Amino acid sequence: MAMNRSFPERRPFFLLILILASQLILMSHQVRTHRGNTLLEDSLLNVSSPLVKGASGGVGFLAGFWQGYVDLRGARRENLALKANMEKLEEVGRVGEEFRRENLRLRDLLELQRSLEIPSLAAEVMSLGVSSQARTALINRGSKDGVKRDMPVISRKGVVGRVIAVGRGIAKIQLLIDPNSGVAGVFQRTRGQGMVVGVGDRGCRMDYVSDLEDVAVGDVVVTSGLDEIYPKGVTVGVVFSVAEGDQLTKNIFIRPEVDFRHLEEVLVLLTNEEAAGHADLSP
Amino acid sequence: MMPVWKGLLALVLAAGGQTLLSRYFPAAGKMVDFYTILVLYYAVSRRKVAVMCMGTTAGLVEDLLTHTVLGMNAFKKTLVGYVMGTLGSFFMLSQPLPRFGVLFLATVLEALTEAGLVLVLGQHVVLPSAGDLIRLGMGNGLVGIFIYWVVSKLE
Repeated sequence: MAMNRSFPERRPFFLLILILASQLILMSHQVRTHRGNTLLEDSLLNVSSPLVKGASGGVGFLAGFWQGYVDLRGARRENLALKANMEKLEEVGRVGEEFRRENLRLRDLLELQRSLEIPSLAAEVMSLGVSSQARTALINRGSKDGVKRDMPVISRKGVVGRVIAVGRGIAKIQLLIDPNSGVAGVFQRTRGQGMVVGVGDRGCRMDYVSDLEDVAVGDVVVTSGLDEIYPKGVTVGVVFSVAEGDQLTKNIFIRPEVDFRHLEEVLVLLTNEEAAGHADLSP
Repeated sequence: MMPVWKGLLALVLAAGGQTLLSRYFPAAGKMVDFYTILVLYYAVSRRKVAVMCMGTTAGLVEDLLTHTVLGMNAFKKTLVGYVMGTLGSFFMLSQPLPRFGVLFLATVLEALTEAGLVLVLGQHVVLPSAGDLIRLGMGNGLVGIFIYWVVSKLE
C-alpha cells in the first residue's frame, strides 16, 4: 500500500513537489498582480498579514495592557491626591460655613445692639455650666470691659440672664433657667405681671399670677422692668402650660425663647457711663 | 543509463529544431513540440528523477528561448513527464501506438496544465482551440514515434 512505502521509494514524489514548488515560486516572482506587486510579494503579504496582524494585535494588546496598568497606577495616585484635596476643601468648606453662620449670628446681634436704646457690649460665651443646682455661663468680657455685677445679658431671641460674678476678662452669668434666677415679667397680651423663675431644663415658671388672670398657652412673656435689672420689653418666653394653682394662683410654665444649649454670642447691657469708655463692642 | 552529455545533446537538438521550425515554418512549429517529445522519451524510457531533471531543464530552456514566464514550461513539462512516467510503469509503451497515445495525451495534459497554471497565477486564461490541440497532439505523436524509432536505431 502507498501508506507503507518507505521514504526512498517516495523520494521522486517529494522531489517533484520540491521542483514544482520552486518553479511556482520562480513564476510568481515574475507575474505581477493588478496591484503592481509580483505574485510572490502578494502571496507573502497574504500569508504574512495574519501573522503581522496577530503580532501587531498582540503587541497592541500588551501595550494597551501596560498602558492601562500605568494609567491605573497614575489614576490611583491621582485619586489619592484628589481625595486629600477634597478633604482639605471639605474642611475649608466647613470652616467657611462656620464663619458664615457666625457672621449671621453676629449680624443679628449687631442689629439687636443697634436697635437697643441701652448701650451694650457683645460677648462670646466660653462655656456653659450645668449642674443640678445651677445653670450658668462664662463670657469673655470682664471688669476691664466695664462689665459689672447684675448687668443684664440678652441675645437676639431674648433674656439670657444676669452677671453674677466678674473677673478682669471674664464674667459669670446666671442663666434665666437657673433655679435661683428671677425676672419680673409681664404677659404681653394682658399685661398681667408675675415673677419668672428658672426650673432648669424644663424652662421657667411664672409665679404670683392671679387665678383670675387671663392666661393662655402661647402668650408671650416679656420683662416688666420692675426688678430694676432687666430693661422693659425684652422677650422672656412663651407660655406652654397653664394650670390651676393651690393658693389662688396659676401654675404657669414658660418655654424660654433663648436656646440655652446653643448659646454662643450675647449682649451685656451697660449703663451709660460704662459704655462711654468702650467703643469696641465686638465679641 | 544514458550519459548526461547525450541528454544535453538531445536537448540542444530539440531546442535548435524547435527554434528553426518556429522561425522558418511557423505553421509547422505550432504542430510539433520537440521539447515535449524529448521529455516523453525520457518518461517512457528513464527513471523518474531523470524525467524530472529533463522536464525542468527542457522547460527552462524553452521558457528562455520563447520569452515566456520563466518556469511555466518547466512546470508543465516536469509534471507531465512525471505523470507519464508513472503511467509508463504500468503499461507497455514500447510499441508505436501506445507511444502515440502517450504523446497525444501528454500534449493535452500540458495544455490543461498550462491553463490551470495561468489561472493559479491570476492571469487571463486563453485555452487553445480544440483543432490546434488535436493537431499538436497528432504532430507530437507522429513525429515522436519517428524520432523514437530513429533513436532506437542509433542506440
